Amino acid sequence: MKQARRWLLLAAALVLLPQAAYAQKKKPKGSGAGATPAAAPAADTGAQAAPADMDADAPAPAPGAPATPAGGDQAGPAAGGDTGAGGDMDICQITPDAPQCTATKEINLGVEAKKAVRAEVYAVQQQYVIKAQRFEIQPYFAVTLNDQFVSHDAPGLSLNYYITQVLAVGLNGNWYGSLNQDSDFNFQNRRAARIAVPLNDYQASGDLNFTYVPMYGKFAGFGDFIFHYDAYIDGGVGVIRTKPIPVIDPDNRSFDWNTLVNFDVGIGLRIFFNRWLAAVLEVRDIMYFDKIENTKIQPGLAAADPVKGVWYDPNTHFTNDVQLQVGLSLFLPTSFDYTLPK
Amino acid sequence: MTRRFVKSVLASLAVACAVSATGAANAQELQLTGPLKGAPAVRHLRLYRQGRFEIAPAVSFSLLDEYRRTILAGARLNYNITDWLAIGIWGGAGVASLSTDLTDKIDATAPRDPLTAINVNHSGNPSGQAKGAPAASFADQTAKISYVVSPQVTFIPFRGKLAIFNKIFVDTDLYIAGGVAFVGVQEREDCGGASEVKCSNPSSFALQSLTKVAPTFGVGLTFYPSTFVSFGVEYRALPFSWNRSGFDSRGSGPNGNFPDQQVNGDDETFKFNMLVNVFLGFSFPTAPKISE
Repeated sequence: MKQARRWLLLAAALVLLPQAAYAQKKKPKGSGAGATPAAAPAADTGAQAAPADMDADAPAPAPGAPATPAGGDQAGPAAGGDTGAGGDMDICQITPDAPQCTATKEINLGVEAKKAVRAEVYAVQQQYVIKAQRFEIQPYFAVTLNDQFVSHDAPGLSLNYYITQVLAVGLNGNWYGSLNQDSDFNFQNRRAARIAVPLNDYQASGDLNFTYVPMYGKFAGFGDFIFHYDAYIDGGVGVIRTKPIPVIDPDNRSFDWNTLVNFDVGIGLRIFFNRWLAAVLEVRDIMYFDKIENTKIQPGLAAADPVKGVWYDPNTHFTNDVQLQVGLSLFLPTSFDYTLPK
Repeated sequence: MTRRFVKSVLASLAVACAVSATGAANAQELQLTGPLKGAPAVRHLRLYRQGRFEIAPAVSFSLLDEYRRTILAGARLNYNITDWLAIGIWGGAGVASLSTDLTDKIDATAPRDPLTAINVNHSGNPSGQAKGAPAASFADQTAKISYVVSPQVTFIPFRGKLAIFNKIFVDTDLYIAGGVAFVGVQEREDCGGASEVKCSNPSSFALQSLTKVAPTFGVGLTFYPSTFVSFGVEYRALPFSWNRSGFDSRGSGPNGNFPDQQVNGDDETFKFNMLVNVFLGFSFPTAPKISE
């Protein structure tokens, strides 16, 4: 068992070794050891001597000059003493411009800003959120935008799967339940003009949707912080359940829910709080041919089968239910990996 | 022995985890102390607004109208004190007024009889349509917006860019505007009072001009395809009370919720009037400054 313990410790040490190597450049062939100072054992002394391969990009030291670390501005083991055992060694070799490696050199941001940049710069670098192959759960609340007679507010839920970064397929549903609200405006019209406008309640709707995300961008808020957003369009087909509110002849008419085919289109804006949570604002139009109450009363047929068109208007009416949806968007899994470098 | 073996394994894992965590912390520290620490969020920003005048011809469309839709043609004139604050004026005149489906329906189906004589436009005699008289339109009694003038302050908190199809890139800002609006409206004139004509009289359905003072605010997006020209869209709210239908619907009974045979200020109801503006802007001087 003593041997087993030793092997375990050795295995642990081997597991740790590659972590130190991750950030190191591959040693170029031909860069002989004579071009750089030999590496000194640093782990237990805190000395700043660099491994030979980390010095490949540094200018060769002048003949006779003392051996210096890659940073060039820290002299020997004493310089490393201010930051601890070997900690600065790695940082200064990886990023020689880091402030702690250029303590005497002030960075002039104005000068730095005037330096030429590489031509290959995209207007929006590396999208903030990778949506491809992630699920989106979107709870929201919808309010009616275009119906001053009856408001059809509803909680809703969208579930989307992003096949690619810009294309998703999913389902969404609204539950109007008892939130339909007949406005006072209808009563005022009926009383003043002696006319009644047919009204309908909604129960629920559900759609199969495709979402396309053609636009994305970022905003700087107050010139201080940056947040990311995207805009999408969606559309699909589904069903909606509606029924007329008996207005014309409420004493004799009562209606059951009708299941009607609908088409929906929407345009939305998503503002990301982080890489998996966003606020969503969407305007969606649910379009369908509605069955409404017949405005004419035929006294002798008041109790007849409504399917025959006595209670219902013989014609269906194209209806737009335009909603404003406000909600949250949660992406799962919550993390992702970029496949290309920034 | 088994216990010692387990302890050894756990100790090895603990060491491995501790060292791994240390590695991650080093990377974070590098980011926080890098050369960009303290640098502004955006550099070399094109200051499309700062120190520039903007004139933006605009067309406004009213939303969610009950009886009559209005299209306003106008303009916005702004002076941008900074890139995030502007003062100016927005205004427009009603160039088109379209009746809604409800108005057409009332016009077509509402009976012209003594019961509706004070509420629905008619001609000929007080209690109904005279034989042979031209049909009076209900649309003629519905209120309309004649003009809007609003001095306003514009605050531009967000500035960014937008990529479309990964091909088109356009600078964008989001603004919030607020001010006081002077709204010219035409609504049914007062009738039925002591010295006024009776509301059942056909002449009482004429419109009178009024000026309403109301708060106004809007939120919009401006897109800058070039340094000189911009375009955008804005949502504008204009809440105030007015009698849009010309009905006598309030003034007597409990809480004044019943008709009183008079048309006056009691019949005005609050409406959160909404508009959507589309504009094309031109900025002077034609070239913007660029930030450090």
